[in-house]
Amino acid sequence: MKINKVAILINVIAWAISFVWILPLMGILMASIRPYKEIVRGWWDFSEFNPSLTNIFNALYHPTAPLSKGIVNSLIVTIPATIMPIIIGALAAYAFARYSFTIKSYLFLTIVLLMAVPQQSIAIPLFQLMKKLGLLDSLIGLSIVHTAWGLPWIILFMKNFFATLPVEVEEAARIDGATDFQIFYKIVLPLSLPGIASVAALQFTWVWSDFFLALILIYSPDKLLATQRLPLMRGQYHVDWGVLSAASLIIIAVPIVLYLALQKYYIRGMVGWVVKG
Amino acid sequence: MADVKVKNLTKRFGKVIAVNKVSFDVKDKEFVVLLGPSGSGKTTTLRLIAGLERPDEGEIYIGGRLVNNIPPRERDVAMVFQNYALYPHMTVFDNLAFPLQVRKMPKKYIKAKVEEVAKLLKIEDLLDRRPSQLSGGQQQRVALGRALVREPKVFLMDEPLSNLDAKLRVYMRAELKRLQKELGITTIYVTHDQVEAMTMADRIVVFHKGKIQQIGTPSDLYKKPQNIFVAGFIGSPAMNFFDATLTYKDDFIVLDAGEFKLKLPKTFSSILRDKAGLEVVLGIRPEHIKIYKEPRASTVKCRVYVVEPLGGEMIINFSLGGKIYKARYPGEISLKPDETIYIEIPVKHIHIFNKKDGKAII
Repeated sequence: MKINKVAILINVIAWAISFVWILPLMGILMASIRPYKEIVRGWWDFSEFNPSLTNIFNALYHPTAPLSKGIVNSLIVTIPATIMPIIIGALAAYAFARYSFTIKSYLFLTIVLLMAVPQQSIAIPLFQLMKKLGLLDSLIGLSIVHTAWGLPWIILFMKNFFATLPVEVEEAARIDGATDFQIFYKIVLPLSLPGIASVAALQFTWVWSDFFLALILIYSPDKLLATQRLPLMRGQYHVDWGVLSAASLIIIAVPIVLYLALQKYYIRGMVGWVVKG
Repeated sequence: MADVKVKNLTKRFGKVIAVNKVSFDVKDKEFVVLLGPSGSGKTTTLRLIAGLERPDEGEIYIGGRLVNNIPPRERDVAMVFQNYALYPHMTVFDNLAFPLQVRKMPKKYIKAKVEEVAKLLKIEDLLDRRPSQLSGGQQQRVALGRALVREPKVFLMDEPLSNLDAKLRVYMRAELKRLQKELGITTIYVTHDQVEAMTMADRIVVFHKGKIQQIGTPSDLYKKPQNIFVAGFIGSPAMNFFDATLTYKDDFIVLDAGEFKLKLPKTFSSILRDKAGLEVVLGIRPEHIKIYKEPRASTVKCRVYVVEPLGGEMIINFSLGGKIYKARYPGEISLKPDETIYIEIPVKHIHIFNKKDGKAII
């Protein structure tokens, strides 16, 4: 009986916290699917309730800052800025995890320390660098910056992940006749898919949600990313909360969908590959 | 098929010398066991031969070719790991096929070869499974199969049976030995289990503290151990040791062990001449100690400590001079703790070691 009471209490607390957590999101959801005149009285007022997709449509095809174009631009930046650092970072992390070379520990320390650099402090030198490289106001340029910015933590994360893999499996492959590169992509990478899935989800979300780097480097109206278009949807005299909420919701939805897709995969991977000792 | 030659091999990890000037030969088709307690350098030696570690000094020859600077994949050796090291994300078929795939063999050949090896090891029904869906014994067979599939020059095995349960281990011991003889593959096998070594090996290399203690056939090691370490390590239960001093009495050499004295026959005198007063260690195997309930000539009185019946035989633990020793008694005898018994140490079975350096004198 005592255990039951505790379980009930834990459940109540969990539900309460979840409720508080989800409340603002509910607000955004309600605001985005209901007309303006309904939500000015508060989204919790259900005296009138006419849900529609008008706000979402209006956000996607906004006259000054269409979100549909922004999403395309964001994907053009985010997809390569997720794939590239994973490829480069995984290779580097593998070298750090499995090979010994003279300056290894210093190099690794440098990479870890780089994670402590605040984005704001590099804004001006970054702008000048990208200008010199002719990559200013370029989606590819922003993608490269995100790749560089993501590498330190991806290297740290993947190195730690590789360290958990049994080294005998790689040694077995080495004796079986595999080259270093074959060992990496035939043995290490498939075994690391759960780790790569986590990295991909996090890196994608960060790049997708980034506002700061985009603000510095992208300024042509037709190249603006999704996050940059959100503030532009707010008129000077009139704020259409419905459209703003709808736009926010669309932007949030993309990483959530990715999380769900990868999470499924992640779990499947873990269940299938655990080897009994 | 090939022979393996190891010359003055040395490997250091920081300040620790894991393998210290080790030299031995493995003949073509021979089954050699590297035996020693953990940390004795036997696994490091195996890894050096495999190419997973680089030696600091010394040379390794496989089939007459110096392989020091040749990567593992070109040494044409196969290895079975203690924890099998199967590829967890691949099916059994792909695990077996991997060594052939990375060598870019034709698909038809791979399929035929994998099926042949699977049949040999009786794992044909498991080809579609993942390693996590196999029992320990089945995983072990797959690991063996992966080593067999490309017909290597040399088989290296690092305690391959130690993760199996006792019954399966005994079964696989015989299977492995039979397989090795059938296929005639030169095999180097690492284990800390002296029973495994004795039952499987053509020859045993005994390691201790990074150095080779003795190389010989199982029977050599059992009958003529070259030092106290080998004497104590080979045989189960282990050899009994008594501290003793060599003395002379009326032209005879007498071993004075305090609790008892042993008169040695004249045949020993040529070896032991001029060694009066030498501190030695007397060794006698449990199976050579004779046990009586009544005193006889040249028996020593002692007390039963505890009796371990094994069915067909008994291990009798007795105390003498405050220490516990073991004797193996064939058949059954009714003895209770603290009962008085009389033991006889037959002189023809004794070993005598120099106490100072542990080397065998007789």
